[in-house]
Amino acid sequence: MTKLRNVAVVGFAQLPVVARDEHRMSTEMLYPVVRQALADCGVERDAIDYQIAGSVDYMDGRPFGFVAALDVMGSWPARQDLHLEMDAAFCAYYAWVRMQAGDCDTAIVAGHGKTSEGEPDRVLNLQLDPYYQAAIGLDPTSTAALQASAYMARTGATDRDFAAVAARNRAAGARNPDNQLRRAASADELVKTPWAVQPLRQGYLPPIGESASCMILAAEGKAEKLCDRPVWIHGVDHRTELQTLGARDLSRSAGTQLAAQKALAMAGVQSAAAADVVELYANTPAEELIVGEALGIDPKAAQPAINPSGGALCANPVMSTGLIRMGEIFRQLSGRAGARSVSGARRGIAHATQGHCLQQNIVWVLGTERRWT
Amino acid sequence: MTEPPKEGIKYIDSKVHLPYHYVAGDYKARYLSALKDKRILGSKCSKTGKVFVPPLVASPESFAPCNEFVEVAGRGVITTFCVVNIPVIGRELDIPYVAASVALDGADISIFALIQECKPEDVRMGMRVEAVWKPDGERHGDHEDIQYFRPTGEPDAPRESYINRL
Repeated sequence: MTKLRNVAVVGFAQLPVVARDEHRMSTEMLYPVVRQALADCGVERDAIDYQIAGSVDYMDGRPFGFVAALDVMGSWPARQDLHLEMDAAFCAYYAWVRMQAGDCDTAIVAGHGKTSEGEPDRVLNLQLDPYYQAAIGLDPTSTAALQASAYMARTGATDRDFAAVAARNRAAGARNPDNQLRRAASADELVKTPWAVQPLRQGYLPPIGESASCMILAAEGKAEKLCDRPVWIHGVDHRTELQTLGARDLSRSAGTQLAAQKALAMAGVQSAAAADVVELYANTPAEELIVGEALGIDPKAAQPAINPSGGALCANPVMSTGLIRMGEIFRQLSGRAGARSVSGARRGIAHATQGHCLQQNIVWVLGTERRWT
Repeated sequence: MTEPPKEGIKYIDSKVHLPYHYVAGDYKARYLSALKDKRILGSKCSKTGKVFVPPLVASPESFAPCNEFVEVAGRGVITTFCVVNIPVIGRELDIPYVAASVALDGADISIFALIQECKPEDVRMGMRVEAVWKPDGERHGDHEDIQYFRPTGEPDAPRESYINRL
């Protein structure tokens, strides 16, 4: 593997996820987390070279609304800035690439969006092609149910299996003060909840929630000054699949599988089973099982711990959910995970997805030691 | 087949319906409520002392929080303007009309304003103007509460008083 530049996560902040923040606009929610992430690193805004944010104009109902984020990110004097219409976990990739190119050493990566102001089902319907898929009214819950059904048909997974995955996330999530759902729920309870879109029950889906998140990345040489325990990026890859749902095998995530292979190879790690902890962005139990299979982890094994945060099922603030997975691995590996700490965790994997039926996937391999010497 | 069929469907019409229910945010809500009482609120940067209207939670320039609300005047100075000769979407205005940036007394940035009750050719940088409010009972806490600005007849403001508030 080519020797790359060592880059670390050195700070992370998020707002606790709520159904609806009645007091703040999206950018007003973002401002305190950018301040907090910088404060945790002990620096002012001028110490950071580059900034990138993820949000969705359609979700916010503000065409070009992303430029409003500039006003709360400390963007003066005029900065280098980029915006993605993607979860901020994908923004982190672009910041990392910039650091590999050598034109910046430090970056702010932010995600924001008020999911509660519009109707996410209507907005996310527009991700599909306008002639057929969007026109027949497919929404993300329906497409996720199609995927769940395909997974059941291929593997024989049952309603009860989905309930068990949801219950494990709910039990873990009760220990995470940033979660929207903080009450544990048993498989017996969840399997009795009404159908949302069969085979997915209401108890298997995240509530609509909103938050804002911010991560600070820094290259070797700067990272050690900004954080007592930097968490180093060992490998990363992201892959995008076809938009036409019928052209993919929905029972699998080929993109996650390939991204994981590439990211693990970059990290010099044999398999995902060598990680102590993984955080998966799965909107449903079926997605979690599909992504876990693509990564090559056994949900029944003692290692790695899967979603000690409670995962997206306990809090799904669109545009931040993926970055929070990365932030959770940072918290786990830097001794900041509180009651949900995985003891002795030294290597972790963060996965994030975007789009219907796991269309885009990114896999990060992170560790407590520098990857390249 | 290299051309679309002459018969049959060639186009698809689509209507996108996306309703929103925006949170104004506590700062904007306070600003809008004050308009009902013919008061204009700004917020003050805790680092530079600059006053922003409408109030912002943070200074875009200094990145410091704006923790203090201050009331600014309903009158100020035209810092820059243009004469519009094309119809405007959503408002019934006789053209030509004047759209201007107005720095209210006590504010460090300008707001956008419509100038009426004078000829477009008489408008100039430095001209003193005041808000003309909707009558009592007809203000609802939105930007329409100020109908427009009009000249006060005061002497023009000196250039150095507004050149940094363009």
